[in-house]
Formats: sequence, C-alpha cells, structure tokens
Amino acid sequence: MILNIKHQTNYNFYSNVPRLVQSLKLYPSNCKNQKVIDWNISTSIGQLTKSHQDSLGHTIYNIYNEGLIGEQTIISEGKIHTKDFHGVMHGLVDKVNPFCFLRFTYLTKPGEKLIKLSKKIKQKKDQIKFCHDLNRIVSEVLDFKTGITNNKTTAEEALKTEKGVCQDYAHILISLSKIFNIPSRYINGYLMDDNNISHYSSHAWVEMYINDLGWVAFDPSHKKCIDQNYVRISCGYDFSDASPIKGVKLNYLGEEDLNFKLDINTEQ
Amino acid sequence: MLSRTAENLYWTARYLERADSIVRLLEVAYRISLIPNTKEGYDNEWESILATSGIKNEYLSIYKEIKKEKIEFFLLFDDRNSSSVKNCITSARENIKMVRTAVTLEVWNAVNSFFYSYFDLTKKKYYTKDLPEIIDLVKRNVNLIKGTIINTQLLNDGFDFLILGNYFERADFTARIIDVKYFILLPSTSLIGTQIDNFQWSLMLRSVSSYRAFKWAYGNSEIDYIKIIDFLILNSKCPRSLFFSVEKISYHLKRLKNHYKENKNFPSKIENVFRKLKKLSVNDILDEGLHEFLTTFIKDISTVYSDLEKKYFLGS
Amino acid sequence: MFNEVINKSTVRSPYNKVFNWAEALPKNTILKKQIQAENLFKKIGVTFSVYNNYDVSERLIPFDLFPRILSASEWIKIERGIKQRSIAINAFLNDVYHRAEIIKAKIIPEKLIYNNPAYDIKMVGFNVPKNIYSPIIGTDIIRTNEIDFKVLEDNCRTPSGVSYMIENREIMMRMFPELFQSLNIEAVDSYPSYLVDILKSLAPKKCKGDPKIVILTPGHLNSAYYEHSFLADLMGVELVQGSDLFVNNNITYMKTTEGPKKIDIIYRRIDDEYLDPLYYKNDSLLGVPGVITSYKTGYVNICSAPGAGLADDKAVYTFMPDIIKFYLGEEPVLKNIKTWRCYDVKECKYVINNLEKLVVKEVHGSGGYGMLIGSKASKKELNIFKNKINKDPENFIAQPILELSTVPIFDKSSLSDRHVDLRPFSLIGHKKFKLVSGALTRVALKKNSLIVNSSQGGGVKDTWVLAD
Repeated sequence: MILNIKHQTNYNFYSNVPRLVQSLKLYPSNCKNQKVIDWNISTSIGQLTKSHQDSLGHTIYNIYNEGLIGEQTIISEGKIHTKDFHGVMHGLVDKVNPFCFLRFTYLTKPGEKLIKLSKKIKQKKDQIKFCHDLNRIVSEVLDFKTGITNNKTTAEEALKTEKGVCQDYAHILISLSKIFNIPSRYINGYLMDDNNISHYSSHAWVEMYINDLGWVAFDPSHKKCIDQNYVRISCGYDFSDASPIKGVKLNYLGEEDLNFKLDINTEQ
Repeated sequence: MLSRTAENLYWTARYLERADSIVRLLEVAYRISLIPNTKEGYDNEWESILATSGIKNEYLSIYKEIKKEKIEFFLLFDDRNSSSVKNCITSARENIKMVRTAVTLEVWNAVNSFFYSYFDLTKKKYYTKDLPEIIDLVKRNVNLIKGTIINTQLLNDGFDFLILGNYFERADFTARIIDVKYFILLPSTSLIGTQIDNFQWSLMLRSVSSYRAFKWAYGNSEIDYIKIIDFLILNSKCPRSLFFSVEKISYHLKRLKNHYKENKNFPSKIENVFRKLKKLSVNDILDEGLHEFLTTFIKDISTVYSDLEKKYFLGS
Repeated sequence: MFNEVINKSTVRSPYNKVFNWAEALPKNTILKKQIQAENLFKKIGVTFSVYNNYDVSERLIPFDLFPRILSASEWIKIERGIKQRSIAINAFLNDVYHRAEIIKAKIIPEKLIYNNPAYDIKMVGFNVPKNIYSPIIGTDIIRTNEIDFKVLEDNCRTPSGVSYMIENREIMMRMFPELFQSLNIEAVDSYPSYLVDILKSLAPKKCKGDPKIVILTPGHLNSAYYEHSFLADLMGVELVQGSDLFVNNNITYMKTTEGPKKIDIIYRRIDDEYLDPLYYKNDSLLGVPGVITSYKTGYVNICSAPGAGLADDKAVYTFMPDIIKFYLGEEPVLKNIKTWRCYDVKECKYVINNLEKLVVKEVHGSGGYGMLIGSKASKKELNIFKNKINKDPENFIAQPILELSTVPIFDKSSLSDRHVDLRPFSLIGHKKFKLVSGALTRVALKKNSLIVNSSQGGGVKDTWVLAD
C-alpha cells in the first residue's frame, strides 16, 4: 500500500528562548516492511542539520535555534510503500544486540501488580505463540481511555488504573515480556486507522525478539500484529527513549504550547 | 578568556566592594549612635542605610520595626538579606573559587582567608559592641584583597574585569546614597547654615568615607551643598566620586577593546556619560534637578553594564 | 601480610636510606613538618568537598610524610603490566561495541555485557577517534609479597587523584629537599604535558590544525573540583562547565569574551548520563545539549568515550586475564585477585558458605561503599548480606580478605605500620603510551584497617620510584 503522510508539530513559545536544540527521530525506518519513496523534514525556523545514523538505524536530524520566540512548525512528510509481513520485521538497519533490550527502565520496571500478573501466565515453549498470548493478555488488562494517564505514567501505574492509551499498553507488554526474558522494545509510529479509536496523532506498539524470526511487531492496543497500515518511525527502551522530537531549551523557564497534526491517506 | 571566567571575576570584585560599602554605612550609623540626643537623625540614618542598599522593604517584611541591633544583624549576617555582608563574602568567594586559576595564589588566599575569618564570626552570637571590630575586619580585608590584586595580578583582560566590577558597584552605590539624601543637598531656605545641615552634610561625607578627603580638597572652609555635590559627583580626585568611577570604567573598557582588537570607532555609551560629566558644573546639575540627574546616571550605568554583559559574558 | 620496609627483620633495600633518616628525625621536627605540610596544603587549597549543606565542608586529605618507595625493577614490572592492561581494555571496548568477537568466542557471557547498564547501546557501531575509548586509566594495585603486585580494580571512566600525586611530591620536595639530593627519584611533574599530548593525538576526524582541548567539570561543588582546576591550570586549557559550551550546526563551541570559539576535545570529568540531556538524563543541567551529535558527526571528541565504564565494571574485571589473553595473546603481567562471581550458582554457594572469610562487593558500587568485610562483620550483618546476595546474585562478587602490604606512617611522632594500595595513572593515545614513574599511594590511617578511600578515613603518601 502506498501511504501519503504529513506530520506537523507546532510549538508556540511565549517568551524568548535564548537557545534551543532539538533532536529529531522523524525519518521513517527504511526496511522491507516499508520502503521510503520520498521523505522530507522541514522547520519553519532554525537551522535543520542532518546528523548521523544511530545504532538503532534512526536517521537523526537536529534543529538549532537562537533567540526563538513565537511559533515553530516542524513538518515531516512523504510517501511510503508498506507491505504486510504479519508483524515480522525484515531488513531493519540495527546494530544493537537484541539482548540489550532485556533491561528495565523507570517507565517499564515491574512492580507488585506486574509481577502478580506475570505469575498467572504460563510460559510456552513455542515463543511465537507465547508472544501472541502476552499481547492478548495485555490488550485485555486496560480499557482504552484518554486523559487518565500521561507521558510519565509507568507500566505499573497504568496497570493499577486499568485505563490508558497505546503507550501504556506498550509499556505493560514490554515490562511483562522482559519478565519472561523476551527482549522487547517500544516503537513509535503512525497508524492508518479506519476505526479511529485513537485521537492521538501518533501510535505506539511493541517489538519482541523471537529466536529464528527476529523482531516481530505486536500492537497490544489493537490485539494484533502490525500490517501494511502501520508506519514505523522510531524505537527505544520506552516512550521517553523513543520519542521522535526531543528538545532542550537553555536558560528558558517560560511557557510553551504544543500541538500535533497528522494526515495519512492512501494512494490507490 | 572564557565568558564565565570574566563574569566570575567581575562579580567577585563587585561583591567585595558591596561588602565594603555596607560596613562603611554601618560605621556612620555607629558614629551617630555615640552622639547624644540625635534620636531623630539616628533613625533617619538607619532608614537611609536600608534605602541605599535597596533592602528597606525586605527588612521591614521580616523585622517590622526600625531597630538598631536588628538592622546591624540584618546587614552583617542575615541569610535572608541577599546583600548582607555575609552573603556578599560568600558570593565573592564562590565566584572566585570557580575561576581560581585565573587569579594569583595570593589573591585566592586573601579572599579565602577573609571568608574563613568572617565565618568564624558567624559562629558566635552577635553583640552590638562587636560592631567596630567587625567593621574594621571587613575594611582591612577588602583593602588587603584589592591591594593584592593590584600587586600580583597580571594586567590582562581578567584584571580589567576585576576592576570593572569594583567601579560599577561603586558608581551605583555612590549615586544611590546621594539620591537617598538628595533632599539635604537642596537649597532650602529654612535650614541653610543651621547645625542640622552641617551635621547631615558631614554624615553624608562620612558615609562614603570622604570626610577627611573633603577637608583636604577644600581646606577648612565651611561645608556647603555646592561643594559636596561637586566633590561627590564631579571631583576627579575623590575616589568615591561618580566622575572617578566613570573614568575608571571608561579606561578599562577601552583597554578591553584594545585587548580584543575590536573596532575602535564604534562609539560606546560610557564615553558619552564621561564626556557629559566632564562638561558639567554643579549649577547644571541643580538646573536639571539632582534627583533627575542621578536617576538618569543610574540608568545610564546600568545600560553600560547590559552592553558589557551582552558582549563579554553571554559569549554567543 | 607483606611489610614493605622491614622484611625478615632487615630493612628492604629501596627503603634503606629513608628508614634510617626517619628513625633519626627528632620528634619535634616531625611534628613541626607535619604542621607545615598541612598549612601548605591548606594554602594551596588542595581539598576535596564533602556533600553537605554548607560550602565550608571542605576537607584536606590527610597527608603522611613517610614516602612509599618502589625500586626501578619493581616499577618496570608494574609499567609492563599496566601497559598491557590499558591496551587490552581499549581493544575490548572496541570489540564489544562492534563485532563482539569475544562474546562469539564464548569467553565472556553475553548477558554480562548486553544486560549491563554500563554498556551504552548508543555507542554500538560508532567508531571513536583512533579506537581509543579510555585514554586515562587509574589502576588500583595491591602488593601481596616480595614479587606479586595484583590489580584490585581498573578505573576507566574519570579516575581521580592524580593531582595528589603531583602535589604530594611538591610538598615533599619543599619539606625535605635533602632527601631528593641524596636519592635518585623519578619526577612526576610531566603528567599534565603527557596528558595534553595524549589527548591531542585523539583529535576528531573534522578537526583542523592544533586541537583545542577543554576540561568539562560538573562544577565547584564536585568533590574533585580542585583536581579539575589544578589540571586545567597545568595543562594550559580552559576548565568549563556545561553552560560554557553550546552546539550549533553540530559544532561544539565555548563561550568566550571574544565570542564563540570552536573546541575539538573534551576531557570530561562528568558521568556519561549527564553529558547530553538530549541523549541521556533529560533534566540534567550539567551537560551540553547536542554534544553527542557533535561527537557522532566527528566534530568533537569526548574522552573517555561514553560507555567506556563497561571495562571497569566489577563483573567484567573478573574476566580481565581472559581479555588480555584474547586480544594480546599474552599472559597477564599483573594478576587479578581471585574473585568469585555470585551469578554462577556454584561460586555463589561457596560465597554464602564462606562469607566470614571474604570481602563482598556490589558489582556497580564504588568508593568502598556497598561492601562487606566478612571477618569484621557481626552475625546480623552477615545475615543481611546473605539475603542480599541470594536475592540478587548477579549484583555481587566476592574476594578473599586482602593482604594489603604495609608501609609505616608517622603516628604522632613515631613510626607505625599501615595498609596501603597504589594507583598509577596511565595514558594511552594514538600509538602512544605514557606513564609517569610515580603514583598515588593511599593509606588506611586506622590501624589494621583495609579501607584506604579518602571518603572513609584514608590518607595519602608521596610515592617514589627510584631510578636505576
């Protein structure tokens, strides 16, 4: 399927930001599941500089600004050809050994609730079946509800509230799979969604590492593996590590506004 | 030189000068407290000390009443007063510690020992009878540090930043103290020539440690407001005068310009201020209005500082 | 236990002159010199900060006047051992961040590397300048007998203490010039220029001309701030904090009174996680946003490299002899201390059953914290540690209770033996290895104590290497 995507991020800084450095992981992964036909990143203000390809295959761009005030718009747009491999990722540029993704982070560290949940689950020899089990279980532990959790909600906290969004599903699945010694990581991307469950501009899911198959992508908030409707943008240990735009403002304590806009459509 | 180094040097000197100015004010107040029947003058004096340091509201919000011991403590030791001598010395040392290798070992030692001897004082309860000794300690140490700077520092850009810190603080402080008391320098028919005037005027001179210098400069003639204004604002020999500070600032800014090989033709604000001062007479100032003159002066100096900060301290 | 000065009731040859001299010193001279030395340290401001509410909490590290002495032949062996180790450590780091041959060869278990928080996945596949990850290594060595020097720990991140090596010498030369005239003692004062030389050899790809070096400090509240400013001064480079630097278009600049100045090499004395808030700790103000980008794009070098700390992890330490053999094909000159790894079920069992004979350390602890000395612990403490180990065996290693050698100190005014260790500082750059003939000797000031860390009551001594 050919997807046309335009992802727009708007910032509004209410007072002068003396210096702002932003690091972008907005360039989609180029692999067999998704071929980038063309892609362009731009900013309405500041110097956009291509940086390097990092160890996980992200093509990193940085934006440098001095004395910024008012609006900044970052647009990431282009055309992608996606294919359905039932979640199995092929041809990722990734130099990091999968076993590095057994580490817990602040957001994914299991607490009592997660440990308790894990004890109820029977591990299967067949890894792929077991991963599907985990995905199914996680998809049922939360009710999809926005506004309850936020960027800083941990897997354990989300599990306690029993409500959350795609990001919380993903964190819980990551935490759970690591308890069973299955490497897993957080994926940030776009979903072309008919049901329109999500009001978020971007989507999150999980890749689990299965011997012989490699990384396989599961979407616990939709209880399935990813298909041609998904576009993979960035990955990492958790939400914060994978976040597509990170910015550090120096000597700035003022307010800012932020909003996203995402348009995806197919080309028949 | 690293921007922060320049900034730290500047603030080291500025805080030391501030500590020095505060104890000199305290010295005057102490003097008044020794003179009988000056209750009113004495209260005024305390209030003007607080006003000069710009901390009257801060003080009143904590202590509610004007009281000698409390003000002394507030000015010398109170952590809540950002300009207390203790905080000034701590800040000065903090600043110089960050750039220790930019000053000579002797300068560092002088500041460091000052810090430790002052800190010994803070460990004891404060009694007002100790005031003269404390004043003396601070004055002696600040003089020692300044002397050590002049005696041992390499005369490079760092030296200029140290001196600039000193004179920016002094220009500001002297202008403020005149401003706080400007009413006693105005020709007001009812008070001229009375005891009170003479007394107030001599206090005024003492508060900037210039009473003796004034006598040297003007001989034993009567003190009057014309002479005082001339002495504290326009006199090129009085080290506490605005003229003197501005001359120093102008000189050291020029040295920096040369040092950094900047465009010499670019006019600088301080030159304008200096040129104006050179042409002025006391009558011009009185025509403009003393208060107005001082307000403009303080504003000008702070603009010069902003330019300096932007150019050298922000570094981008 | 090895007494370095008197062995089999005779004075060992390196100490011949000094021991006689010390014995002959009048008591009041010793006391006088001790006070003089302390005043000198105070004056210069050699202090280490103790974290506390107040700035006044600066302390002097106690300095003892009796020198630690090594003969030329002893030093040659130490030097050979350290050189071998430094090369192996850098080869190891380069390997685990690239092809990971040592893991494929099953010499080190993969979990130990990949699940190790010190293994920085952002460094995978990145080529650091000249393949040097850790140019400055402090090796903690103990002496167990006449022949054997053993390595207790490698410090590959930001080892501190080198300023004491230099200052201790300065003070000793002022106190006892006559000793330096009569003995042939190797100088240590070339360390700062060696360091400049080594760092310059590690200029990044895009550096043109003479590389500009800075030292990056967390600031004056850091316990080693004195050392940072000391080194910057002697190296003739700027001492900067994160806020003095900024990155624009991938290039790193320093803010100066003459505007931005490009810099090429950062000798950083801050931890990995504070380097760049865009990549590590998001809320850190100590670092420089974008500096990792600048590093990755070849505009600046960061020494030591992020992730270099993997090599001084205590679990990795246990494999150091294998690491040396694997990369250099040589037997290690300096042996490790026998170490039990608690993640191994058999070894863990041994540790639990023999706790009172062992020293147990946390794998990621440092500075003598999180440590149990079995022979000195109460029953209760032993039980607490047993539980800790059982709960998280991977986090612990155990070693026999060490026989640190002794050298006397002036206790009041008479000589009394104390345990010591040795930390030389080696420098490795592009096709260069430098080691000044000298080191920091740390001494436990409490009688019979084995803890030499300055944060826990240790002191320091000047260390002399005799020329042939």
